[in-house]
Amino acid sequence: MTTRPGPHARLTGGLLLWYGVLGGAVAWGVHVFAAWGLDELACAAGSDHVAAVPLWQAVGLAVVIPGLFTVGSLLVAALVWRRTGRAGEEDRPFGRSRMLAVVGVWSNLLFLTIIVLGGVAVLVLPPCQG
Amino acid sequence: MSTTTTPPPGVSAQDLARLAEHWAERPTLRGWFSTVDHKKIGRRYLVTAGFFFVLAGLSALVMRTQLARPEAGVVSPQEYNQLFSMHGTAMIFLFATPMLFGFGNFLVPLMIGARDMAFPRLNAFGYWVFLFAGLFMWASLPFGAAPNNGWFAYAPLSEEQHNPGLHMDVYALGLLFLGISTTAASINFIVTALKLRAPGMSLNRVPLFVWAIVATAFMVIFALPALNADNAMLFLDRRFGTHFFDPSAGGNVLLWQHLFWIFGHPDVYIIVMPALGIVSAVLPAFTRRGVVGYPLIVLSIVSISIISFGVWVHHMFATGLPQLSYSFFSAASTIITIPSGIQIFAWLATMLLGRLVLRVPLLYVIGFVVTFVLGGFTGAMFAVTAFDQQVTDSYFVVAHFHYVLIGGAVFPMLAGIYYWLPKITGRMYHERLGRWAFWLVFAGMHVTFFPMHLYGLFGMPRRVYTYRSEPGWDGWNLVSTVGSYLLAVGLLLVLVGVVHALRRGRPAPPDPWEGDSLEWTTASPPEPYNFPVQPRVHSLHPAWDERTADSVGAGATADRILSDGRRTLITSELDAHPERAVQMPESTLMPLVLAGALLIFFTSMLLAWYPVAAVAALAVVATIAVWLWPPRRPDEELGVAR
Amino acid sequence: MSDHGGVVAAATGAEALSTELPVGRSAGWWGMVMFVATEATLFACLLGSYFYLRFQYGPTWPPDGIETPELLTPLVMTAVLLPSSLPVVWAERGIRQGQRWRLRSGLAATIVLGVTFLALEAAEYAETLKRFTMTTDVYGSLFYLITGFHGLHVLVGLTMLGWLLAASLRDGSFGSHRHERVRNAAIYWHFVDLVWVAILFTVYLSPRL
Repeated sequence: MTTRPGPHARLTGGLLLWYGVLGGAVAWGVHVFAAWGLDELACAAGSDHVAAVPLWQAVGLAVVIPGLFTVGSLLVAALVWRRTGRAGEEDRPFGRSRMLAVVGVWSNLLFLTIIVLGGVAVLVLPPCQG
Repeated sequence: MSTTTTPPPGVSAQDLARLAEHWAERPTLRGWFSTVDHKKIGRRYLVTAGFFFVLAGLSALVMRTQLARPEAGVVSPQEYNQLFSMHGTAMIFLFATPMLFGFGNFLVPLMIGARDMAFPRLNAFGYWVFLFAGLFMWASLPFGAAPNNGWFAYAPLSEEQHNPGLHMDVYALGLLFLGISTTAASINFIVTALKLRAPGMSLNRVPLFVWAIVATAFMVIFALPALNADNAMLFLDRRFGTHFFDPSAGGNVLLWQHLFWIFGHPDVYIIVMPALGIVSAVLPAFTRRGVVGYPLIVLSIVSISIISFGVWVHHMFATGLPQLSYSFFSAASTIITIPSGIQIFAWLATMLLGRLVLRVPLLYVIGFVVTFVLGGFTGAMFAVTAFDQQVTDSYFVVAHFHYVLIGGAVFPMLAGIYYWLPKITGRMYHERLGRWAFWLVFAGMHVTFFPMHLYGLFGMPRRVYTYRSEPGWDGWNLVSTVGSYLLAVGLLLVLVGVVHALRRGRPAPPDPWEGDSLEWTTASPPEPYNFPVQPRVHSLHPAWDERTADSVGAGATADRILSDGRRTLITSELDAHPERAVQMPESTLMPLVLAGALLIFFTSMLLAWYPVAAVAALAVVATIAVWLWPPRRPDEELGVAR
Repeated sequence: MSDHGGVVAAATGAEALSTELPVGRSAGWWGMVMFVATEATLFACLLGSYFYLRFQYGPTWPPDGIETPELLTPLVMTAVLLPSSLPVVWAERGIRQGQRWRLRSGLAATIVLGVTFLALEAAEYAETLKRFTMTTDVYGSLFYLITGFHGLHVLVGLTMLGWLLAASLRDGSFGSHRHERVRNAAIYWHFVDLVWVAILFTVYLSPRL
């Protein structure tokens, strides 16, 4: 807390905070949209391949990439939580960031769980079974 | 600042007089129609939504009378269809959301220490549109032209060739009309909460009710367009021969369902979320402590409002899509119970750790917990696809969502009515009368709806106007009917209680409950300017906080009194640093005129008077143009380069 | 922990992580952004419906011997509409410095471009209506609903800009301290422009993929 960060660092920090808070939510949105869309459209077209990739692997990618993005978001939220913990209670922006970090940690865990459950389904169910 | 001895300390009598002058609205008829005061508008929302609730409730009573015994003939099948459709549509769209928005309108500015909503005129406009849309839809019932397709209006039954007449046109146009109001109110809530919070109210000090209203507003912003698109296509299909839901020309009936539930599932939370916010607002006063786990409740509010967009397919598990694509939605439907559970356990912990003050609002909160948990439990059962396919379209579903909606929305609303009645009316309610009403409502609700689980499992389908005598159906149906009358008597007693308070109630002090949020730091009912001094907030429970109290007392400063005009403070988005004071708009008839022009537009569209509709559309444009026309200002004030 | 310097350390310090972002926007800005957000969702629903119905329909799209849409007119329309945002930006920057002439001429230029767009759309309709209408089949319904709804938005945007131009022709309306209406109308116009790109892709380009 000795020097004030420059404008560039502040912008990055502010964006990082929101990545930590909302990253999981965004990743989950992409995951549902991509996985559902791929599965539904490929099956409706009567194919179990997307381009040359087997459908289950394509859907699997729509699980793994958002999952990793969520893990990153979780780590950032945890980092914010640790960094703002050492500040005094009286400092309003720190208190606000810390609360958002708590929200971020837990919501990322929730979204990660949903994405992982979807991944389990990809491993267990044949992609086009009605 | 000169500190005179007149109360409240910190504000001079001249300041108070100037504030009163700037914020006063004339008590004339014109003043009544042109008001932009969020408290008056909030009250009107509450009363109007209550009126539509009575109409929808009476529809339900007629239906229960019809179903009291097998093969009764109280109403015809056609009338029954209209009754259950209007009951559902009105309860969801004309009662639940507007009622909670009424609480929001009255309370959000008070809770965040502001003097009005961010857009007071838009607020008035939203109310008039709500009123007109509600009347537009209800007016169809006496003509026998009310919606008759259930509240979710599935295609293809809602299409012209299967359902001729104006019924579903009323539905489609009515909801499009109403959507204008809901969207306007939502934008207003979001901006108000972002920009008008009192200095110092950073995001970690925002009352949970305000979080809930803002999350609800965000859900409306992103969910309602799906319903609007759906209804626009339905109307085009019915009236102008398009084929969106017509399989014979390439359309698809499932499109209606997808769009409807993309809206409809978030809508469940749009209804329940602000009600849960009421619970979080009521509890601190009656447990004498803050709600346990504030960040976790914020988490729950935020994550529910997001996840609710990813569960829509679970309303359609019975429609035959690939199982894998279900499972992504099943996962979301299962996990969304966790944040809901977090809230319930946080409230239970609050009650456990606090010192309970068993007054009527708390009774309703306890009734809410019991009922809502039962409804949530049957809801979690639907996440099991196999079970869902078994009970879809049976009375089990009816039982489930009445537990969720009465438990999750009506009980908290009733808690809120008793809790804030002193603030809204300046009068206290009659405690014993309130208790009687509570027990009748609680018993009536469970006697009505618990048996529906049973005869639902016994196979009774919903939406049948009558039934043959079947084992397990007759007796339980009669029990349900008796329960519904009990419920009606209980709700009547609530109304009697409110009227009694208005007529005979003893005057309420500013803070009868020793509540924790800012609305209790000002007069009951509040002055038109809400706060003589806008507070500086120092904690999550500003009304229990010495320093916040001091900021409106001895520590009052001119930049928060703002008595030189109709002004309120604008603060920064996250941390509520003061940015500047802005001038608030005066009262005007424009919102009413605009809403009236829209009413003419939608009515003439319904009746196919298209030239009139075109003229009304022009009137809408002209009204907006006049409304927003910039006032003439001198060049120095504008800042013009020469 | 604080033994390494650099941008990363600065950006992940407690202070940087507590930067207030977003900050300092006006109430009107937020209101317009929220309105645009809900409108954008509406278009997303319409375009989603297009793809849903298309993929549910089967392999031949457009159906019933309707040809895939001509590209020339829509590309010209794109070339007219997308640049129309620039004069608005220029006009807005102008009035921020109190230069009314820039506001007036910028708005006028954009209005000309917007009207040209609508005229081109009308010409295109005159052509397509000979081949299929809204009631021919679901393709026709989607085509006219989506393009017509967007056209309506262009008309609304033009009304806003025309109204601004009328107000700016009178002295005493806008200046460097009062230009919120200009900015809000500009946001709406940019949105109408951007949505057109999504429509161009969905309605005109995607049937060729």
